Amino acid sequence: MAQALATLREKFKEQEKEIAALREKVAQLEMSKTPAPRPDVKVTPPTSLTAKSSLSNEDIMRYSRQLLLPEFGVKGQINLSKTSVLVVGCGGLGCPLAQYLAAAGVGRLGLIDYDEVELNNLHRQVLHREENQGQAKALSAASAIKSLNSTVQCCPYQLQLSPENALDLIQQYDIVADCSDNVPTRYLVNDACVLSGKPLVSASALRMEGQLTIYNYKGGPCYRCLYPAPPPPDTVTNCSDGGVLGVVPGIMGCLQALEVFKIASGQGSSLHQQLMMFDAQDARFRSIKLRPRQSDCAVCGQNPSVTKLVDYESFCGSAATDKCRKLNLLSRDQRITVQAYKLMLDKAEPHLLLDVRPLVEVDICSLPFSLNIPLSQLEAKNSDDIHLLRERISHLKHQIAGISQPPVFVICKLGNDSQKAVNILEQMSGLQVDSIIVKDICGGLMAWANIVDPSFPQY
Amino acid sequence: MTARVCVLYFAKSAELTGLKEEEVAAVPTPISSRDLWNLLLQRHPRLQTLQDRVVLAVRQQYVAIGDQVAVTLGDRDEVAVVPPLSGG
Repeated sequence: MAQALATLREKFKEQEKEIAALREKVAQLEMSKTPAPRPDVKVTPPTSLTAKSSLSNEDIMRYSRQLLLPEFGVKGQINLSKTSVLVVGCGGLGCPLAQYLAAAGVGRLGLIDYDEVELNNLHRQVLHREENQGQAKALSAASAIKSLNSTVQCCPYQLQLSPENALDLIQQYDIVADCSDNVPTRYLVNDACVLSGKPLVSASALRMEGQLTIYNYKGGPCYRCLYPAPPPPDTVTNCSDGGVLGVVPGIMGCLQALEVFKIASGQGSSLHQQLMMFDAQDARFRSIKLRPRQSDCAVCGQNPSVTKLVDYESFCGSAATDKCRKLNLLSRDQRITVQAYKLMLDKAEPHLLLDVRPLVEVDICSLPFSLNIPLSQLEAKNSDDIHLLRERISHLKHQIAGISQPPVFVICKLGNDSQKAVNILEQMSGLQVDSIIVKDICGGLMAWANIVDPSFPQY
Repeated sequence: MTARVCVLYFAKSAELTGLKEEEVAAVPTPISSRDLWNLLLQRHPRLQTLQDRVVLAVRQQYVAIGDQVAVTLGDRDEVAVVPPLSGG
């Protein structure tokens, strides 16, 4: 009897232990369920930065290597900790910039980005991780910053900077870093900085080149002083079209952080009225001495015509994004869908498929039966290429005797260049080459990959 | 008087001309910045799309296209054509 009682008591104790462990587990899980800080979708003023008058022992240990610099010292560190910096764009420039400023102990970082992390961002946007794919970039960057330096106040804004919110946001910060990727946003940030009197540290990068300037600073020019009119939208190359080597925005973002750092710490930037250019191919920096602020500038001049923020997308004729634009140059009967083209292939109808992408893209992937002549070579009427095209068309004509105008289909990555090529080929039809019927394949190879063949690579 | 200068093309201008740099002989000097730009346009008509949207620099110093001020060029002087980059 006593034996049985003891065994039961033992069992009871074990069960109690198990229940306690389970309770703890539940509590832990509930704790981790508390939502992560949500990015601001509206602009709410952050709490003000408290001015430190001295450094804590932890500050001294953390920042000791930069405190030892006579140019910086304790005063520079305290100044930095009182400074707020608004980072416009958490991409290839914004990531390294935010990373170094946070590491150095900047007071507050505002991180703006409307976009989400994609796999093709990771080669250059070094704050984001594989597991952050699909997450808001502002939030992903903020969580990386938090784990690097938890003493930095970090304000993620998952929104597109717009004429409606830009002044509210910028007014809350001391320095603005333009890390954006498109022309309308660059004009918007510039005008907002001029109107609110903030220095604008502006970097940009594409392919193997970078530029860095500080606008609206110490009597130097603003972006509009240099570029009063925006470039025609079809002449602007973005990173998704033109490509960019990740380390190039990395270098430019670091240089940009350096200038922010110097302004914030009180040393001042030596780059005012200068345009610094970096050529990654030749590993060479050059600087151009710029003019001062222009008295006839539309926004920072003596009689400005821009006294409030305007519609920058219509001013520039393009959207405030670096996503590719969709051109519409052709009529409906000059285009076919990828599905219709697939049906034609299935029926083995003779035709010529012309791929007008640059060779470097054809090397990534292509349809095996296509003929590649890049658009630039068609535009330049390159004689070797015209000869090749003429031969292929005349061969096709023999193949399908009876059809007076052999069909030529034009494809590119997204269906923009192919439309331009259709126009060129129509002009050539019956002159430089046999008379043909030319059609554009809508949406290009990316539509082909999305709709027809999911195994076809996307880039 | 003429000068033999080295013209550097950056960003879009390098794409449009297919060149990163070239020597241009017999450039009249002094020359107005507008004439200097027009001379480059004559060599590379595709640069037209950058008209009024480009920084021109002589000896690493900004010159406004359209300024009446004449630029004096010497042999081996650097002329840079710098359109803005907007990517990031």
